[in-house]
Amino acid sequence: MRKVMLFSFVFAAIFSLFLFTPSSYAQKTIKVGIVDTYTGPASAFTIDVRDGFEMAIKKINAKGGILGRKVEFTTRDEKFKPDIGLAMAKELVLKEKVDILMGTINSATALAVSDFAKKEKIPFFVTFSKSEKIVVDQGHRYVFNMNENAMMAGRAAGYALGKKPYTKYWIAGDDYEYGHSIANNVWENIQKVNSKAVLIGQTWWKVGEADFTPYITQILAAKPDFIIVATGGSGMVNFQKAAKATGLSQKIPFYQHTAIELSVLKPQGQNAPEGVFGTANYFFYYPDTPANKAFVDEFKKAYNREPRIGALSGYMTAQYIAKAYEKAGAIDKEKMVTALEGMVLDSPVGKLEIRACDHQLVLPMYFGKTKKDPKFPDFLVAGDIETITGKDYMPTCDEVRKMRKYK
Amino acid sequence: MDFFYAIIPPKVLSQIFVGLSRTTILFIVSSGLSLILGVLRIPNVAHGSLYMIGAFMAYSLSVLFGGGDLGFWMALIGAPLGVAIISLVAERGVFRYLYEREHLMLLLLTFAFSLVFGDLVKIVWGTEYKSVPVPQMFHGFVYLFGGLPFPLYNLFLLIVGPIVAVALWLFVNKTKIGKIGRAAAVDREMVGAVGINVSWVFAIVFVIGCLLAGLGGVLVAPTVSVTLGMDHTLIMEAFLIVIMGGLGNIWGALLGALIFGLSQSLGILIWSQFGIIFPYAAVIVVLLFRPTGLLKSTW
Repeated sequence: MRKVMLFSFVFAAIFSLFLFTPSSYAQKTIKVGIVDTYTGPASAFTIDVRDGFEMAIKKINAKGGILGRKVEFTTRDEKFKPDIGLAMAKELVLKEKVDILMGTINSATALAVSDFAKKEKIPFFVTFSKSEKIVVDQGHRYVFNMNENAMMAGRAAGYALGKKPYTKYWIAGDDYEYGHSIANNVWENIQKVNSKAVLIGQTWWKVGEADFTPYITQILAAKPDFIIVATGGSGMVNFQKAAKATGLSQKIPFYQHTAIELSVLKPQGQNAPEGVFGTANYFFYYPDTPANKAFVDEFKKAYNREPRIGALSGYMTAQYIAKAYEKAGAIDKEKMVTALEGMVLDSPVGKLEIRACDHQLVLPMYFGKTKKDPKFPDFLVAGDIETITGKDYMPTCDEVRKMRKYK
Repeated sequence: MDFFYAIIPPKVLSQIFVGLSRTTILFIVSSGLSLILGVLRIPNVAHGSLYMIGAFMAYSLSVLFGGGDLGFWMALIGAPLGVAIISLVAERGVFRYLYEREHLMLLLLTFAFSLVFGDLVKIVWGTEYKSVPVPQMFHGFVYLFGGLPFPLYNLFLLIVGPIVAVALWLFVNKTKIGKIGRAAAVDREMVGAVGINVSWVFAIVFVIGCLLAGLGGVLVAPTVSVTLGMDHTLIMEAFLIVIMGGLGNIWGALLGALIFGLSQSLGILIWSQFGIIFPYAAVIVVLLFRPTGLLKSTW
């Protein structure tokens, strides 16, 4: 009997430790919980977000934190599974008592977590999900999108491609939401600018398709003027390699969102196809401004590699969190959310704004094509860069309001 | 030639050949899976991971030898051997104690292995996409069949496929280990009873099966990005092929790979928008009429 009592006493003591420590600790710090995919192919992008965020937080803490409070963050690996991601977000909020949620690369997870954040009234910063549903259809007061979405990418590309003289278009892509969303948005916006454009055929393959050769020979035989390729993840490199091997890249010009990004071009070295059109939001070598250079140097020093789009998104999320609390003048979620609306901050790519109407970060979109550059002997870079500003390609606030589910 | 094209249009011919080159990789990987299934009775889910490791090793060897042609040939030899060594360690260290266990248990075990391998790859090679360049001599394409371009590397694959098939046939039918392996597939107690060291025969068969996965990984590497997760899609297809062909029958794997590869490429030709459903539809049709697979299963 005594043994049982002793045991339960010890158990209770240990359990209370778990129960009380986090909440008392939370008083002194601002806690950020990151739910993201850190295993599998998606981790090629998410680690940049985490590192960019960490770099900014370290600097903020070194300067005394936000309103005298240090910032700390914890990460959870959702393994690209929405149900796990949602459970982790719940755990972070209910048990770890985080003040802010952040993540993820999986749009389905982002939507689930966003719904939860809405109920719990926790600010949620989306750092790498590309579904426009997050801030458009299902946007609400507590969700913020810190990267471009498929609608933005598609509209920007459509805006730039519509001005080109191609008429016979072909759509090919990964058969999932992101692929269809990109393709539809590009195509709709090409049609707006170029009335002569016609769609002569479509090809859809499963996500993760390894060999594109059979699809490409098919497209080649149809002889379109231009191909809209809506691939994501590893499909980006796979398609470019197949396009080079089959000679497609020399015969028919094609567009892929992020085709000109470092994550796609660096692995291929000098063997990447030239002249591939793409859009991207960030390059470490462009714009060639002191602000971008300082950011690149700082990131390189800390992590020994060049920053990519994810690093910018993580870095800016940290900046916005800090500045919003400072503007609100108190560690108060509601005041912070209000402070974020319409907030303009300096960034490595110039001044950025979080739109008040849809909580979307207005990023400049760079349109260009792959080319060799003697300055970068190890990989191809983006050339003929055309900067498309937010007002030219973002859906207007009125358009967003019409698409909103929650009024 | 024109007469010939009138019967089979060049578009179809080109598509058939592209499909056959894909078949090569599918066959190499799934024959290894089938060999292990047939002789050792292990549904090796980690087979895909070994394919992925093969591709990553190919990348490392290619970089080590300067990223050029030499790198590719060294990778073609070295990476499958590297995979073989890993599988030998896994077999001697773990699998050999578990041959008598239930299939479900083995399935879970190999699934665990695939997760462990996935994380190991991430630790060793990082998360970034890797790419193995196509060797210089196979750069570009040739115009075959009515002026449609055909990648040279795919032609190379078309040559490798039959070589592997013949080598495998020789191994299974002409070598002593192959014969013992076939006997053990039918009745392993009996083979042990006649005084043969079944344990080592199993080890060798397991290693050869895994070596084929590694070889598949090397061969696919120049055509795709080498990345985490490339194992998942492949292992699905490989299992479908093996089931379609008849569990444990490597000629079944060949037949299954042919059906899978060709239905995919011809499906794209027939209906490009929904090309992805054709190989899976073929699997359903085959299993409807022959639930145990096309050829005789060893199970």
